[in-house]
Amino acid sequence: MPTTSVTIEALSKRFGDFVAVDDVSLSIRSGEFFTLLGSSGCGKTTLLRVVAGFLRQSAGRVLFGDRPIDDVPAHRRNTGMVFQNYAIFPHLTVTQNIAYGLKARGLPRAEVDRRVGRMLEMTRLAPFAARRPRELSGGQQQRVVLARAVVIEPDVLLMDEPLSNLDAEMRVHLRGEIRALQREIGVTTIYVTHDQEEALSLSDRIAVMRAGRIEQLGTPHEIFNEPRTRFVAGFIGESNFLPARRAGEADAAGLVPFEAEGGPRLAVPASRLRGTGARFVLAFRPHHVRVAPGAANGAVLRDTVYAGTSMRQVLDVGGGAQVVALALSQPGAVATAPGAALRFDVVPEAITAFAEDGGP
Amino acid sequence: MSARTAPRAALRELLGFWPMVTLAAFAIVALLLVLPVASIVGLSFSGKGDAASPLENYRLFFSERFYWQTLVNSFQVSALATIGAVLVGVPAAYFTTRYDIWGRGFVRAAVVITFVSPPFIGSYSWVILFGRSGIVSSWLAQWGIQLPSIYGAQGIVFVFVLQYFPFVFLLVSSGLRSIDQSVEDAARNLGSSELRGFLTVIAPMLVPSVSTGALLVFVAAFSDFGTPIILGERFRVLPVLVYSEFVNDFGGRPTLAATLSVLLLAVTALALLLQRAIATRFAHGAQTIRPLEMREQPLAKRALASAYVLLLTGLALLPMATVVVSSFLEANGPLLVARPTLDNYRAIARNLEMPLANTLLFTSAATLLCAVAGTAIAYVVVRRRGRVTGLLDMVIMFSYAVPGIVLGVGLVVAFNEPPLLLTGTATIIVLAYFIRRLPFSVRSAVAMLQQVARDAEDASTNLGAGPLRTFLLVTVPMISAGILSGALLTWSNTIRELSATLILQSGSTATMSVSIFTEVVNANFGLAAAHGTILIALTFVPLAILFRFMGKREEVLV
Repeated sequence: MPTTSVTIEALSKRFGDFVAVDDVSLSIRSGEFFTLLGSSGCGKTTLLRVVAGFLRQSAGRVLFGDRPIDDVPAHRRNTGMVFQNYAIFPHLTVTQNIAYGLKARGLPRAEVDRRVGRMLEMTRLAPFAARRPRELSGGQQQRVVLARAVVIEPDVLLMDEPLSNLDAEMRVHLRGEIRALQREIGVTTIYVTHDQEEALSLSDRIAVMRAGRIEQLGTPHEIFNEPRTRFVAGFIGESNFLPARRAGEADAAGLVPFEAEGGPRLAVPASRLRGTGARFVLAFRPHHVRVAPGAANGAVLRDTVYAGTSMRQVLDVGGGAQVVALALSQPGAVATAPGAALRFDVVPEAITAFAEDGGP
Repeated sequence: MSARTAPRAALRELLGFWPMVTLAAFAIVALLLVLPVASIVGLSFSGKGDAASPLENYRLFFSERFYWQTLVNSFQVSALATIGAVLVGVPAAYFTTRYDIWGRGFVRAAVVITFVSPPFIGSYSWVILFGRSGIVSSWLAQWGIQLPSIYGAQGIVFVFVLQYFPFVFLLVSSGLRSIDQSVEDAARNLGSSELRGFLTVIAPMLVPSVSTGALLVFVAAFSDFGTPIILGERFRVLPVLVYSEFVNDFGGRPTLAATLSVLLLAVTALALLLQRAIATRFAHGAQTIRPLEMREQPLAKRALASAYVLLLTGLALLPMATVVVSSFLEANGPLLVARPTLDNYRAIARNLEMPLANTLLFTSAATLLCAVAGTAIAYVVVRRRGRVTGLLDMVIMFSYAVPGIVLGVGLVVAFNEPPLLLTGTATIIVLAYFIRRLPFSVRSAVAMLQQVARDAEDASTNLGAGPLRTFLLVTVPMISAGILSGALLTWSNTIRELSATLILQSGSTATMSVSIFTEVVNANFGLAAAHGTILIALTFVPLAILFRFMGKREEVLV
């Protein structure tokens, strides 16, 4: 299948005074599953629509392989797009929906039938071939739309929050199907979502976007474990943010001592310091916080939230700050009463320190 | 790189399918609307003919009482008719929407029939009933009862109120349905009586509906010349003067007719601008989750409300009923005899074919043009929103403001010479119908397109279909039901067009409404009634489809 790399060079898109995409550059490898992740208004959909040709950028360019496509009209770009609210053609049957792009390309009828038939098999839609969209469930409609986008053998597959209108169970199920289909045909895919779990589980690489810019670009593992900015640390997964003051230089092991508000002392590897200065915010995941009895660093249990598999403990650590610890429930564990004095600890490698005055 | 290709891409964008459609739309509007209006404006300021300076025609108008009095008269009857229509229409709409009155189906049907009734003939019915030797007035005279005269200003206002209150009724009805029940409940809960709640909470929310209705009544009354011609006698209004100056066998004055048209247009255009400003200013934009409910009323209240609404709608329906009934009665000139006969139909049968064929042909052609152009223009207005298409929308909406008689005069003036010699042809009548109804077609298609997400069209483009293919294979099928209902409405509203047709027709292009006019003027009421009954039937076929099978509400008429 002819698929292609996608290069976005210094691309900006302005709507009047509003800068939706601000000088973004990216290289997406051929066959890669690439995700643009961010909350609404971050520019991810705008960027996708520029690639699809529905919007023209204010500056910069887009290349498929080494071919600039900026002057290619949307209907000649050979991208397959899956829309958030399906955009299924309500007046056409499943078969007609899937055949639409092939007919627009003027393919001979036999070829259209053959490809549609194969796609119906692949997406297990064959039993519904003659149905109209209103007779299908949301998940089935989304599969039709996916088949419709893939059957034209696009150079690039574009997906704009394709799962956001589905219920949670169907989302997880279709997520697997999308990944399997993409692996099978190997088409370069740009996937837009605000759902971090979706992004982490589907993508080869993720670009986290904020206010039109790329905040961090990396593999799911990098994004989750080595957030480059405080925003990414907070946006991807849950994080504790504990204000702290730098309490000295790195020791022989490369650990920098910090004194958190309220007194607790924590160490952070020098390599995980982002920015300079004296005032920092320490970011760490709740499941990396270990809690033990004892009053060594002045934490007091405020509340325990039991959620079946896991248990969350909210600790007052002094100075008005709080730390959340998350642990798997253990058999025979006795709940600690609120008000009990506890000590908490976090391994240095699990902490990232962001300089308070902005940092990188 | 992109600096070099940008102009080329911009050029291609400019030569694309939809820019071409936009350009064509501008050309159509320029030719059929701007040119005719500009022509009469130009003519009104020209020193040609018997006037000398650019303002000569206006000076003449304002110096002769015979002329300027018509402007005063027009304002007088239109203002009174507007007040009257609001006073009778608002309570009627409120009772019909909120109270469990009897005969609701009849009321709704009566309002629709009144709304789309062919012009002229209704007014003439009033003469038959309440004129000097009218059926009802003669009968009452036996008992020594003398009714107020149906002629002159008071008669015109009376007929206008009954003919045009449906504007107010329909708009207020839909306005009431857009108010949430919780608003009234809150007022009652805070201690308001029903009347107080209506006056302090509901009425203010109805301001946009009432003002829109009122201004539409005003514009309709101001540009109507059928009713004043029949009932006015020596009381002359502006449109009547336009008509008599323009279509005058004894040498009318086109320049003066043009001047009068400009004055007429200025008033209607200002009224519609005012309506837009008010509607925008007072739009409440509240969400309606549960519309105002119908409330069961105590018997006395229910009976009173029912009596009022039924009386009003019955009275409004009376002329139409008179037309249909009297078309089956023996007639001797303007006098009817209570003997059933089909003579009227036999009499018109000989001359029916031409006007009937013309009516059907012109109406169908204009409907088709409206559906195609209206949908395409709506597409560029909604999907390619920008300064240019915004301007296009505005210019097309201007057509609302141009009274039929003014458009007729303008088209004659503009297309009277080669290479644009169209006067007297069927084409010019079809084009007049088309441009008059175009804003309605655009509005309804815009409303439909706004309800359809543009994603399906984007998907089509993304899958490789060009603009025209996407429009035909995706957009049009998705809004086909709406296009059809819009076309049915166009048909029903166009088939009875009179004022522009009267100016533009040339004998061989006369329509049914012209036949009615001719028979009325010649006092052949039986023949006029037979023509009128056929026209009523033709008007109602599409409406019956619309309301019965497509589940539309009467409000689509406004």
